[in-house]
Amino acid sequence: MSRGYSVTVHQEPDLRQSSLVLGWSEDAGDLGRKVTDYMNLKLKGKEFAEIEPETFFPMGGVAIKDNVARFPESKFYACPDHELVVFQTDSPSAEWYEFLNSVLDVAERHCRVRELYALGAMISFSAHTTPRQLLGIVNSVEMKETLSQYDLNRDVDYQTQPGERPTLNSFLLWLARDRNIPAVSLWVPIPFYLAAMEDAQAQKRMLSFLNERLRLKIDFYDLDQEIKKQNEQLARARSRFPQVDDYINRLESNVMLSEEENGELIKKIEDFLREGG
Amino acid sequence: MGIRLCQEPQLENPILVASWPGIGNIGIIAVDTLKGILGAEELGEIEPWEFFYPKRVLIRKGVLESLEFPTSKFYFKRMRGGDIVFFIGEEQPTEGGRIYAEGKKAYHMANLVLDVAERFQCRRIYTSGAAVALIHHATKPRVWAVPNSESLIPEIEGYGNTVLMSDLEGRGGHGNITGLNGLLLGVAKKRGVEAICLMGEIPVYLQGLPLSYPKASKSVLEVLGHGLKVEANLNTLDELDQKVQQRIEEFYQQIPLEIRGQLDRLKQASYAQPVEPGPITEDEEKRILEDVENFLKKRREGS
Repeated sequence: MSRGYSVTVHQEPDLRQSSLVLGWSEDAGDLGRKVTDYMNLKLKGKEFAEIEPETFFPMGGVAIKDNVARFPESKFYACPDHELVVFQTDSPSAEWYEFLNSVLDVAERHCRVRELYALGAMISFSAHTTPRQLLGIVNSVEMKETLSQYDLNRDVDYQTQPGERPTLNSFLLWLARDRNIPAVSLWVPIPFYLAAMEDAQAQKRMLSFLNERLRLKIDFYDLDQEIKKQNEQLARARSRFPQVDDYINRLESNVMLSEEENGELIKKIEDFLREGG
Repeated sequence: MGIRLCQEPQLENPILVASWPGIGNIGIIAVDTLKGILGAEELGEIEPWEFFYPKRVLIRKGVLESLEFPTSKFYFKRMRGGDIVFFIGEEQPTEGGRIYAEGKKAYHMANLVLDVAERFQCRRIYTSGAAVALIHHATKPRVWAVPNSESLIPEIEGYGNTVLMSDLEGRGGHGNITGLNGLLLGVAKKRGVEAICLMGEIPVYLQGLPLSYPKASKSVLEVLGHGLKVEANLNTLDELDQKVQQRIEEFYQQIPLEIRGQLDRLKQASYAQPVEPGPITEDEEKRILEDVENFLKKRREGS
């Protein structure tokens, strides 16, 4: 396999045997961005490299999000005290093979990465009161064994369904295996009515695993406060809108809603949370 | 990124026949059918990683077992009158969300196909695809043939049920071939290899449907068989066509009666060579095309 290289390294990180955590910016529940932001904040991540965007993203202008112009970013942050690299990126829309190989090039050449953790969120048709489980998909049997001591569903069976394509995380795991880098993609379900918002519980679930596995010693007090706040907001939504309460009650009883009901619940919750809950 | 050959046979006087998915999958069904009938052997493939996004993942008990990519494979068959090399691509390498191959990747892939053709000293290349035409689905589709050299025109004129671009009303011998079918013709010309693209006609009102059109594949294969000096039993295509025709009829009945009435008149007409005085005038042709386009547009918006 040939490897392209479109990376700018601003400063060589001081890493000897690191782990890399990768988060995608446009995940459901904004999970990848929130988790990597949180890690960078708590662990004082310092940007040291980035993948140049022109090969991988359409350069036809800028997107506007929350009133602000956004430009595609793919940035590496080093947390040398924890032998950790955090990579936060938008999802490339072209040249995926070159993009993912560029990530692995940085991991190998500049960070001496020994393990890779790719974060992912998936839409779940269950209620927010259901405990978030964490699923792990690995690229080697050895990695599966390594993770056996953690609270992680490691027995997922899956194959691509008609009309679907594999995720970038699967592509990354496959390429990492080619370079003998043990890797896992971690998936946490996000209730569908929180997919366009944020899900602090899902963030905590993901972060708790990384905290334990990478011995990061993060104090989650502020995140616990956020979870409490979001739970209170959702409880208020239930008490203010009987229809919302009914829908969530049904989800809690494992009863599927109709497509129309799903849409109604999403709209009510999103409007309510956007107005400050 | 390159070519992986699983064997390197000594081939005699070979011709390469290439195809990819496209409108009605006319080309790929034709070439895949011929490959199957002749029992061609696998020769090699173009490595897919840089051209394509993966198409399938298999995860078993939490372990990623395999990741599959669209294939771009070569096959060969020894024949008395000259061997045949097949190239069948499951997808066209695209950029920027386009449907058909375009840009650097497409050019690179066309060159890799030509590399294999030259490695085995192929004397000619055939590509195959679809020609969207104002015809009725009850009529036998003709084959539009475009060579990459003037010297091939007399030979094409000897093929049955085939038209050159200059035979098509109002085109003055001009036109475009999108995607790899066209690109391969150009790259072959650049390298001095003769090539012909054979395009089976598909009714204009069927071009956007997720249906194959084996009737046109059969027309392409009849012409291709002539060029390759191969006689093949094409019953499988007839059977496939019967199944598809039923679905086409179901769709056809959804077309508003007024438009359908005009389209029915195409059963006696030919867009390419109208009989003079034809049953459909030039103005009427234009109106039918507009009506069909409006209908298809509304249908797309509705879905």
